[in-house]
Amino acid sequence: MEQLNTTNALSIDGEGNKGVLETIQYIVVRLGDEQYGIDIRYIDNIVRMQRMTRVPKVPDYLKGVINLRGEVLPVISLRLKMGLEADEYTRTTRIIILKLEQEGNVGIIVDEVKEVVTLSEDQIEKLTYDSKDGKVNYINAVGKHDGELISLLDLNSITLEENAQ
Amino acid sequence: MDVSQYLEIFLDETKEHLQSLNTQILELEADPENMDTINEIFRAAHSLKGMAGTMGYKRMQNLTHDMENVFSEVRNGNIKVQPEMIDVLFRCLDALDEYTNNIQESADEGTNDNEPLIKQLNDILNGTSKAEAKAEAPKEQAAAQSSEESEEKWHDIALEDSQIRVIIEAGKQKKNVYGINVVVQDTCLLKAARAFLVFKAVEEKGEIIVSNPSAQDVEDEKFDKDFTLIVISDATLDEVIKAAENVSEIAKVTGAPLVLEKTKNYHPIEEREEADSKQETGVNPAPSTEDKSGKAAKTEKKQTPSKPVVNRTVRVDIEKLDVLMNLVSELIIAKNSLVSATDQEQSGGNGINEHIEYLESVTTSLHESVMKVRMVPIESVVNKFPRMIRDLSKKLDKKMELYMTGEETELDRTVVDEIGDPLMHLLRNSADHGLESAEVRAQRGKPAVGSIFLDAYQDGNNVVIEVRDDGNGIDTEAVKNKAIERGVITPEQAASMAEKDIINLLFLPSFSTAKQVTDVSGRGVGLDVVRSKIESLSGEVEVKSKLGEGSTWTIRLPLTLAIIQTLMVVVGGEKYAISLGSIQTIEDVALSEVKLVQNKEVIHLRGTVIPLIRLSELLDVESTRSKEDNLIVVIVKKGDKLAGLVVDDMIGQQEIVIKSLGKYIKQCKFISGATILGDGEVALILDANALL
Repeated sequence: MEQLNTTNALSIDGEGNKGVLETIQYIVVRLGDEQYGIDIRYIDNIVRMQRMTRVPKVPDYLKGVINLRGEVLPVISLRLKMGLEADEYTRTTRIIILKLEQEGNVGIIVDEVKEVVTLSEDQIEKLTYDSKDGKVNYINAVGKHDGELISLLDLNSITLEENAQ
Repeated sequence: MDVSQYLEIFLDETKEHLQSLNTQILELEADPENMDTINEIFRAAHSLKGMAGTMGYKRMQNLTHDMENVFSEVRNGNIKVQPEMIDVLFRCLDALDEYTNNIQESADEGTNDNEPLIKQLNDILNGTSKAEAKAEAPKEQAAAQSSEESEEKWHDIALEDSQIRVIIEAGKQKKNVYGINVVVQDTCLLKAARAFLVFKAVEEKGEIIVSNPSAQDVEDEKFDKDFTLIVISDATLDEVIKAAENVSEIAKVTGAPLVLEKTKNYHPIEEREEADSKQETGVNPAPSTEDKSGKAAKTEKKQTPSKPVVNRTVRVDIEKLDVLMNLVSELIIAKNSLVSATDQEQSGGNGINEHIEYLESVTTSLHESVMKVRMVPIESVVNKFPRMIRDLSKKLDKKMELYMTGEETELDRTVVDEIGDPLMHLLRNSADHGLESAEVRAQRGKPAVGSIFLDAYQDGNNVVIEVRDDGNGIDTEAVKNKAIERGVITPEQAASMAEKDIINLLFLPSFSTAKQVTDVSGRGVGLDVVRSKIESLSGEVEVKSKLGEGSTWTIRLPLTLAIIQTLMVVVGGEKYAISLGSIQTIEDVALSEVKLVQNKEVIHLRGTVIPLIRLSELLDVESTRSKEDNLIVVIVKKGDKLAGLVVDDMIGQQEIVIKSLGKYIKQCKFISGATILGDGEVALILDANALL
């Protein structure tokens, strides 16, 4: 978590915005009734739900693989991963393609993509890790925007943890 | 100059030159008088030196420089090729190889100066003509020369007043003034270039105030074979001389402190000052010198570029690229005619099928050509083996000869890169364990020189590489005993094992029958690594052996890893691809033919009992076939093992492009990858080998 924020600060400093509060752009997605934010710099692409090919003998949150312009990408159900009910694919369901340094590109399924918000540092409240509830693991901060709360996803824990299992 | 952009080319070419040197020196060893070979070697060494110099790899340059000197003497007939010399040269090549590897990893050549090697090279040179000895051991010469007045050519230079003033001034500033004489080698082709390098090298140490002939003349090559400099420097005389000597093809550098009074038209100007009263330390450098050293430091910095990413490259025959280009243009035409055909279609025309067929034929050819671009001859890998066998022959004290055929056989670049180590293991194995000692060979009536064969050829969609020797063959009894001793098998098992199975024990990890462990082979890490490597390349390895007559190791590799022929099958509504290479037959089996053995389903097919694997169960899907229907069984094989895969339906044979599932999905052992079907759907590839 620490590391993530340092890199943010660095990259923005590099663009010459020194002195101003650092801001990060998040894409706000909906899962059920909750809103989650994904750091925009990790997002490669957002695609509609498409036909997936199931892969046998993998954890159930790994929904399968899709063909994205000739590349075969694994797709994770964020709902199953976070212990929510299984996805119900609707017209608003999207796959967000994340670009990760180690694992390459990975898709995650969300119920809806809502908007892009820009949060400055003082609008972000970091969460300390204090609960045994598995869900907290995947969120590293909460952002406040227009009176609403947005849980900011820790992409590293969402994706890295898979390999431990 | 920033040279990092040339690093890839440099590495590629260096490797090529080293390989060529290896081959040529081997030839030279066999035929020491062959002038063509010697010339070839000289050229390769020369290019290597030049390239290393350009890239700023000084150590590499020095070593190649000395090697080149030796070759040059050999070429001039001053040195005869001797076995010791060949050994030294091979060690030099190894050292160069090490530099190259260092450069590849870190863009830096490392810090090993390889002085013993350079010394040996110089010893070879010194062992011959005296003139050469002088050239190669100039340090003592320089000291000796400086005492001889007649050699001090710098005192013959007619100095101008202004120059004398500068010298006197330098003396005041307690700087050193030296006269330096540089003699270029007789064989030097680009005297001016060498002289220029000397100028540069010396200027790094100090300031050149006078040159005779003038710098312009020297640059225009208007000098015989030596030139004289007067240098003002903070450095010691030795440092300046050394700087000049470091330039290649310089035969001799002499120097001494300049004594102003001895110069030709010396006349006292103003206050006569002893120009040669000098102090070695504690001087403020003149601004000009400072500038220059500053510059020098900068260039040095640039010469060690930051760590580059060296990509793997494939050299492509221009013809292959032309074919590709043509196909792409055809593709564009095909697309255009399709577009116009659809327009016609709307207005009642026809012919779209015709165009689709055309498009299909173009894409097929395009596909083939792209695959060809990826193919490289295995030559690049097997070329290093003759040298290795030669070294082994010396090390093991066995006479042996390597015969190679089919070096031109082409394989996918990725496969070629990986195949070197396994082949090396097998060859070493043959040399160490396979071939008998000279006495045993004599007893058996075999020729004294053992033969190892490496044959490569294409066989259908596969490339076969055979390593064969006329040695002892595999002693199955010894293998059996060893296996029992190691607890791999029980004596009872051993008694019932077929010869072939016993030989296969060799491929188990940590299995070595060498009675004593040598550094050539016998650490028990060999054959299992060979097999796993080859299997990771979707290939297979087999041994045939006859005790007392020799053994043959056969490696079978797919032509390419990127595209394979598969059978598309359907299991529970999902499509899977099975490589045709592992499929033996497809059978229609009635339910009544399925028997149970130890509660497992088997079928009895033409005398063989084959276990059945119900893919629907394995893949966790519901079979869509009714339970009463006959079974569609795909019989797959791996080595001698067979298994029957029960599928729901078959789509047919299809050529597919293999795509990786990515690093993310690791759990799935029997899925070796995925492919994208014509309609954009992803189908998984079943790895039949992992199922058996």
